[in-house]
Amino acid sequence: MDECILKIEKLEKSFGDLQVLKGIDLEIRKGEVVCIIGASGSGKSTLLRCLNLLEEADAGNIWFDGQNLMDLSVNLNALRQKIGMVFQSFNLFNNKNVLDNCTLAPMTVRKIGKAQAEETAVRHLKQVGLEDFIYADSTRLSGGQKQRVAIARALCMEPEIMLFDEPTSALDPEIVGEVLDVMKELAREGMTMVVVTHEMAFAKEVSDRVVFMDQGIILEQGSPEEIFTRPKNDRTREFLTRYLEDKEA
Amino acid sequence: MKQPSGGNIRTWGSRYVFLCGSVLALLGLSLLYGEAHPYSFLTLTNLPGIVCRVIFDAFLAVSAVALIFKLMHWKDYSRTFWKQPGVVKASCTAFLPVACGCVLTLIDRGLLRLIYTIRLCAQLESNPKTFGSSMIYMSLKGKDMLFTGIWTTVRIALLGTGIAFVLAIFMVFLRIQTPDKRDNDAVKALKWLASHFASFYVFVIRGTPMMVQALIFYYFGFNLFKKTNMTVTEINHVWSFFISGLCTVSLNSTAYLTEVLRGGILAVDRGQTEAARSLGMTNWQTMLKVVFPQAVKNSIPAIGNEFIINIKDSSVLSVIGVMDLMYATKSISGIYFRSLEIYCVAAILYLILTWLSSRLLQYLGKKLDTPVKGIPSSN
Repeated sequence: MDECILKIEKLEKSFGDLQVLKGIDLEIRKGEVVCIIGASGSGKSTLLRCLNLLEEADAGNIWFDGQNLMDLSVNLNALRQKIGMVFQSFNLFNNKNVLDNCTLAPMTVRKIGKAQAEETAVRHLKQVGLEDFIYADSTRLSGGQKQRVAIARALCMEPEIMLFDEPTSALDPEIVGEVLDVMKELAREGMTMVVVTHEMAFAKEVSDRVVFMDQGIILEQGSPEEIFTRPKNDRTREFLTRYLEDKEA
Repeated sequence: MKQPSGGNIRTWGSRYVFLCGSVLALLGLSLLYGEAHPYSFLTLTNLPGIVCRVIFDAFLAVSAVALIFKLMHWKDYSRTFWKQPGVVKASCTAFLPVACGCVLTLIDRGLLRLIYTIRLCAQLESNPKTFGSSMIYMSLKGKDMLFTGIWTTVRIALLGTGIAFVLAIFMVFLRIQTPDKRDNDAVKALKWLASHFASFYVFVIRGTPMMVQALIFYYFGFNLFKKTNMTVTEINHVWSFFISGLCTVSLNSTAYLTEVLRGGILAVDRGQTEAARSLGMTNWQTMLKVVFPQAVKNSIPAIGNEFIINIKDSSVLSVIGVMDLMYATKSISGIYFRSLEIYCVAAILYLILTWLSSRLLQYLGKKLDTPVKGIPSSN
């Protein structure tokens, strides 16, 4: 639990004149589940996308696996294999069925044989409860099913850390649960997870640490209890109060 | 007052039946009174002809009476005798023989006449004066040339589009190279060069007429071979009109298909690339396994369009002497000293070719689940 797996130092990112990240410092320990919460536009997703360099940060360091990802000479593709990512809009490969979605990267990147890749894929698809959809067309699944396939696809690369970018925001409320259940199961198994989410109940229940972001900086972080019951910062309190009001309304 | 609905004439109501029937009857009569030919089985004096005429005349007469009634009872026509169910039904039944008669006269004066004219023209020694006969006469006399022409046109369009597709895949790969800050300087320079070369190629080819390109390619190749001390006959054998024409169409289409494929690539959702990259796939692997298959599928309708465009636009290759449909037409017009007639034949043949291709592509598009529409406009 103590070993630091990912360390972010003074990360900055701007889109044109708009500075989205204003010096983020964050450490993620092995086996930890960290939820990042905050209002829209606070830079949560950008931070997450910077972690595997889908967005290139302007300044700062990201230490992972003993290497600095911001160093221009690192083998980015090798490092990305170990960082799984789940997107808000699922992004399943439209030209592949469920099984092929899961075996493509292991076979092309890790050069694993077809039989073994399929075996791993089926195991992870069972894990997310989709063993009946192995040969289904990935474009014909429901949102919840797509997101579970996306999780299985990321797991097939056997990542050391998983990043979730608002994984349930594109789902309707009734099927949010099926995706969250899969994520809870993953957390129980000890996967290191960084989750950008608006699901406060999930954050409260599952996370080891909650990070509250506002306007490009981390305002406050602590255990779920600290953040949700005794927030120190006024802005955090305001956000949570309004959020709970909206939930009740 | 009901509007005509659907294809079932029984639901139309009598006035539309009378109107349509009268039009058919008038058409039939005008054909029947027109000039008969030796193959006619309907004449004004034989029994089938008289039966048809009587049917047409009778229907027209009843329609005229119905029209007068309609004019006199404009508002309350629906209450007149003509709107009673029995009468409506009778008029619908009467429509049937009129339609049959009309079809018969059309076969007699249209199809049979065409067959007769073709047979007659085949025996003629000189070009007939009338327009239609002359078209048929020249097509028959020059049919070998026309067939060769059609075959060449189809081959050039098919091979040209095929070769262009392969080249365009290569060219679009160059076109989409973007220097990354993680590349070393040599790679950056190469990528810049590749992408600019491809866009310059597209710029030049799309900005010049294919006719000019055809002439340049032909003479460029010719002069090149001449440097090797080959005789003109030898050059014509290696660098034939067909080969240089095929090169022109291929290289021309490459430019258009490059842009088509680039559009197809841009149309693939960014998320697809991000997902692949997040799994550790390289740029090249992502392109090959994820983006490109989807881009090609997006582009299938446009690639089919390019094929149809090539059928039409390969006609400009006749300037360098490629024996395509256009060249064949020109030759025939030169032999028989008639232009308009044989160019109309060429137009009809081109139309048949493009129509057939577009139907074929629509069929293939349906199979591949990518909709294709109509005949595209020229480049």
